[in-house]
This record gives sequence, structure tokens and C-alpha cells, in this order.
Amino acid sequence: MEIEDKQIDAEDISALIKKQGRRWDNLKVSISVFMANKTAVAGLLIFLVFIADALIVQFFPQIIGIKSPNLLVPNFMDPVPLPPSPQHPLGTTYPGIDLLDGIVKAIRIDLAYSFFVVAVGASVGAIVGIISAWAGGIWDEIVMRLTDIVFSIPYLILALAVGFILGRSLWHMSIALALTWWPLYARYARSQTLSAKELTYIEAAKAGGVSSTKIMFKHILPNVLPPIFIQISLDLGSIVVIFSTLAFIGFIPNANIPELGYLTSLGLNYVQTAPWAVLFPGLVITIFALAVNLLGDGLRDVIDPRRRS
Amino acid sequence: MKLWAYIARRLLLFIPTLIGLTFIVFVLSHAGGNNLVLAEYINPRLTGEARALLIQKLTDEFHLNQPLYIQYFYWLYQVLQGNWGFTNTPIFSGSVITAIDLFFPNTAMITVVASILIWVIGIPLGVYSAVNRDSATDQVLRVGSFTLYAMPIYLIAVALILALGVYLKLIPFAGVVNPIFVSNLPWYNSGISYPTHVLLIDSILHGDWIVAWDAFLHLILPSLTLALAIVASIIRILRASMLEVLEQDYIRLAWSKGIAAKLVYNLHARKNALLPVLTLYGLTVAGLLGGAVVVETVFSYPGIGYWTTQALLNNDVGGIMASTLLFGLILVTANLVLDILYAFVDPRIRY
Repeated sequence: MEIEDKQIDAEDISALIKKQGRRWDNLKVSISVFMANKTAVAGLLIFLVFIADALIVQFFPQIIGIKSPNLLVPNFMDPVPLPPSPQHPLGTTYPGIDLLDGIVKAIRIDLAYSFFVVAVGASVGAIVGIISAWAGGIWDEIVMRLTDIVFSIPYLILALAVGFILGRSLWHMSIALALTWWPLYARYARSQTLSAKELTYIEAAKAGGVSSTKIMFKHILPNVLPPIFIQISLDLGSIVVIFSTLAFIGFIPNANIPELGYLTSLGLNYVQTAPWAVLFPGLVITIFALAVNLLGDGLRDVIDPRRRS
Repeated sequence: MKLWAYIARRLLLFIPTLIGLTFIVFVLSHAGGNNLVLAEYINPRLTGEARALLIQKLTDEFHLNQPLYIQYFYWLYQVLQGNWGFTNTPIFSGSVITAIDLFFPNTAMITVVASILIWVIGIPLGVYSAVNRDSATDQVLRVGSFTLYAMPIYLIAVALILALGVYLKLIPFAGVVNPIFVSNLPWYNSGISYPTHVLLIDSILHGDWIVAWDAFLHLILPSLTLALAIVASIIRILRASMLEVLEQDYIRLAWSKGIAAKLVYNLHARKNALLPVLTLYGLTVAGLLGGAVVVETVFSYPGIGYWTTQALLNNDVGGIMASTLLFGLILVTANLVLDILYAFVDPRIRY
């Protein structure tokens, strides 16, 4: 008996090693598919630069000489925008704010709130979508009608209205955006769950008497997550753009918050004499949105079975 | 399914969406308690005892002391009666319905012009890009539409202002008209023209060609910005769907019959390739309406969007809620019309 047990153990271990080997191979294929896409790699690199900027401003602001990461530093002695110069590499914007300093600080704030929006939107949407597809019937119908209703208002307007009721602040703006964004993920997770529901091993788990909660979150969720992650990376660009757009049209009530849309709006009155004041903050957002879109496209290739073979 | 059955089903689905839409607006405007509701329905210029009396009257009328779900029906009744409350912003102060009457024609004008531009720019470029796949032009178009897709609308606006307005000095870039031209016109009063409130149409109606030309020039940048913000996704979708259609058997058959390339592309392929674009036009409508808010704000163009941001900046609940409801109504109606149109165009959708 003992010998038999040991044999099984040994078989299990070798199977495990093989399985891990396969996993490692899998990862290698994924990485090579991703690396083959040069634009996606460029997207990833730019994305990492933005992340690094945010992390440095968050944890070691003194390294790059930033004293107040949450505030813009106005200079009312010289409020009119100045062109780029050695002293101000990207120039200044009204009222005398150094653009480089402002942009470096603003990236952290824009990124942090946008991550919050996609994280909340995606998790709420994924949970609602999975449960809705699993429960089916009337619940599914109700959830789908609810998403229809949220989609019936242009998202920018809905976010504006929700944010207006909550009060104009960055937090409320992100909550408003998350509230308008979850239905997208709910529909996405729902359609993924519906197809996962038909898979044999889910049927087997059901027949074996595994509880619904366990099936949903242990067996279905891993199927739903990869496409959701790709959707997140594609959405992150849109969210940053919309976030800054809301700030641009006047959502941030009091001045001095480093935010890219707000920085752009500061220079708007000087567009004829100081184009850099509006172009630089706007371009930074565009580059970020472009980078995450490219990154998302590359990630989509990675899980696309046609590209893998 | 017969066409009429499909339309009937679609119309039935329209009702819960409408109820949900009004309910969302109701909840939003009542979430902050009674004061928000009162602010929405009391004429901002009203003061003193008359105001107190009106508050009493409104409390009775809307049953503000009742539970929310009962209040909803009273609120809905008022909305259906055309009583949408009052707004108080620097550009307009008074009844919301009057504000919509004044501002909506302008928004309709730029969104319609932008839609036309989207079709005129987007369809040829999308088809060209797919037909000449991987050519230099295709690469440029792909990179261009990808970049445009990532740009915030206000940056597109600023780029156009700088290129066409500041450097080339081709077109004016603020407001609807040069104030010199309209200072003494009998049909123009404090930024609002009569009778249609769209300056271009009004000046043509009055035969004033100088103003009409200037109004036309002022219309170019806002509509072009709005169009460029959306055309990128149209080009991308059309290119992808055109490539898919070109792979299909009936196109190969057309080639093998020796039909001219122009006919194959324009007659056989483009028709089917446009179907996904039509479906996604619903998204385009949403993008146009949201984009109008930003574009009108950047160009100080007196439409619903400009009014909305003015309401936001001046804590005017009436303006915000009215434009949310209005934009929502437009979007759901547009989606309804598009779905029905789609069923006409593509019989496959009905099954």
C-alpha cells in the first residue's frame, strides 16, 4: 500500500512539473507574441514612464525637487505665459505656473483617479455581469434593462449630472464616471459568462454539486478576466481623456489642483500668444491614451488563439 | 419575424427605457433634498413674499412631503405638461423650455453639419484605406485616425484654432458672429437671433448676406472639431468591415465575372461594409452630443452644451437636469430610429 501511495505521489509531482512547464511555455508564447508587436512594446514603455512618474511624485517627490505634489505653484509676479526656456523647459502657463512641474504632478493625479474609475467600474461590472448571466431569467432581464437605461444618456452628460449632484470635486468626478462606466463591463462579463456556462467542465462542476458561488468565482471568473483586463487597458485611455475633459470644461471648482485638463484650460485665453500652454498638457494626455491603446491592442493579440499558433 | 412585429417589439422596449431615463433624472434632481427641486422650479428673479408663497404652492403641487416614488409621478406629470423648471445662468435666465427653444437649434445645426462632414470625410477614407490595404496612404490614415481617436476633443479644437485661425488666419474662432455686423440689427438681440435662433438661417431668411457669410465662417471650426473627434472611429470600423466584406465569396464572384474594380468596391462591397457603421451610429450620436458640450464651451457657441457648462459653473440645477433629460431623449429616440432603419436595410437582423 505504502509503495503505491508513493508512486501516486511521484506521478502527481511529475504531472505538476509538467503542468508548470506548460504554464511557463504558455507565458513564453504570450511574451513572444507581445514582443513581436513593436508598437505594443512602445506603448508599454510609454505607459511605464507614466507609471514611474506617478510613483516618484507619490513616494519620493524630493528627488525631482517637487515640494507640494498636490498643489500647483502660481507666480503672480509674472502671470502671463512665458515661452520654453532653460529655466522653464516647457514654458509657463497662466498664472506663472511652470508647465513641466505642473504636468509631472498632474500625471500622478490623472492616473490615480482614472485607475480608480476603471477598477471600480470593472469590478462592479464584472460581478454584476457574472451573477446576471448565471442567474438568468428575470434578473438577467432587469440588469440588461438597467444597463440600457444608463446607456440612454450620453456618458459625458450623465457624469456631469451625477458629479453636479455630488458636488464638484475630483473624487465625485471619479465616482460619477465609475457609475456611468460599470454597465459596459457588466455586458462584457455577461456575454463571456454566457459562453463559459456552456463549457463542459462547468457543466461537470454543476453536476458534481459545486455551489453556485464557487462556480461563478472560481471557475467562471478566470475565463472572464483576461478579456476584461484588455478592455481595461483600452478604456484607461478613454477614461483619462474624459476625466481631463470634465476638468477642462470647469468641473474642478477651485484652482491650484494639478490636473491635465485643468492645466490646459488655464492657457486657453492665451492660445493666440502662447500655444505651448494648451498644447503641452493636451499632448501629454494624447500620448498616454495612444500608449494604452497600443498596449491594449498588443494584449488582445496575446489572448487571440489565431495569433498564438 | 415580420418587419412590423420587429418594429412593435422595438417600440415596446422603448417604453421601459423612457421610464428609466426619466427616473434617473428624477432621482438625480431629488437626491439633494427638496431645496434642489425648489431651486429648479422657482424663477430665480422671484424674491420676498411671492417666493415664500411659491415654495408653499410647489410643495403642495409636487407633494414634496410624500415618499419619493409618489413624487416621481407628480414630477413626471409636470415634465409632460412642459413644466421643466427654471434656469439661471449668465447667458440665459428664465424658463427652461425657453432656454431649450433658444439654444437647441444651434446645437442641432452643428451636430447636423458635423454628421454630414463625418460621412463625407469618413466613408471615402475608410473605403480607400481598405481597398489600398498596407499602402503608404493606408498607413498614414491608420496612424492618423489612431492618434485622432486618442486626442481629447478640446485638444482637437485647440489644434484647429491654432492651425486655421491663428497661423493661417483663415477663419474666426470664437462665438457665432463678429459683433460689429450685428450691433444694430432689428432681428438680433443680446446674442440671440430671430425667428429660428440659428444665425446662419436667420440671416439668409432676412437676406443679409454679409452676416450669413460671417456666421458660416464661424460655424466651420466647431463643426469640423466635432466631426474630427468622431470620424476616426468611423474610419477604423469601416476599414475593418470593408476588409471583411472583400474576402467574401460574392465579391470573388464579381471579380471572376470581370466586373470593373470601381463597381466592385462602390456597388458590391461598400453597401455591406456600411452596415456595421450604421449600427455603431448610435454610439456616434452619443459621441456627438457629449462632444457638443465640449466644443460649444471651447468656442463659446450658444447651444445646449454651452448652456450646460454655464449651469454647471453657476450651480444651476434646472439647466443640468433639463439638458440631461433632453440629451437622453434625443439619444434613445435616435437609437430607436436607427434600429428600425437597420431592420429595413438588413433583413437578417429581424431573425
